[in-house]
Amino acid sequence: MRHTSIFTHMGEYQSTRLDGVFNALCDPTRRAILARLTDTDARVTDIAADFPISLNSISKHIRMLERAGLLRRSVVGRDHILSLNAEPLSEAAAWIEKYRRFWEGRLAALDAYVTSKKRKRQ
Amino acid sequence: MNAALAPAAVVVRRTISASAEDLFDAWLDPEALAIWMRPGSGIRNTQARVEPRVGGRFEINMHAESGVIPHSGVYQVIDRPRRLVFTWISPHTGERESLVTVDFLPRERRTEVVVTHEQLPDAKRDAHMGGWTRALEKLEEFRQ
Repeated sequence: MRHTSIFTHMGEYQSTRLDGVFNALCDPTRRAILARLTDTDARVTDIAADFPISLNSISKHIRMLERAGLLRRSVVGRDHILSLNAEPLSEAAAWIEKYRRFWEGRLAALDAYVTSKKRKRQ
Repeated sequence: MNAALAPAAVVVRRTISASAEDLFDAWLDPEALAIWMRPGSGIRNTQARVEPRVGGRFEINMHAESGVIPHSGVYQVIDRPRRLVFTWISPHTGERESLVTVDFLPRERRTEVVVTHEQLPDAKRDAHMGGWTRALEKLEEFRQ
């Protein structure tokens, strides 16, 4: 079915992209970099100065965030300026929110089910 | 698996006044599943088929006004009454495999059920949320 294959293709594209987002977010240094960029853009060297790890390690974290689409880099003269791109994050949060509601609902129903079964046994 | 190493996941907990055995069994009993695995909005009934062994399949078909919403997967771990792990495929995961772990933790005379759902999500582009800071807070909250 044509319709189904288009849907699957889109699903794969989004899933791959979201994997990158989730992987990027599972590290505390990368989350701290994103938090640092919430209010204002910053130069790569400014960010490196904020963390007690090597510039090389910070660069790796930044590249991973860029690949996940969470950071944008612009070059102004000799400076590399980083800014936050929140869009992939809201996709990830939407997925999480949808499933959180689903499982909360199922566990409430499981509670009701075992409770009514126990009452019948008594 | 060490949950601390896993990417962000949905983690939902509920403490229920029942034994771990009774709760565990409700996940593998098709008649029980047909009753409680039925999301509220518009699902008229649910049919479940399970093959309760490691490597066995399950199918949970939720009948909505618009048609059947099929869910399926394969059991990876069946450790009664402590842990159940299965793959989970549905239209909401973009028909791709995700992973669900259910832990049953004794809490005096009750049991805490912890559902961890992870891997290969499919986000709906139209489901937008507020500011990115709020989104990050949410991810932080659900990350384990």
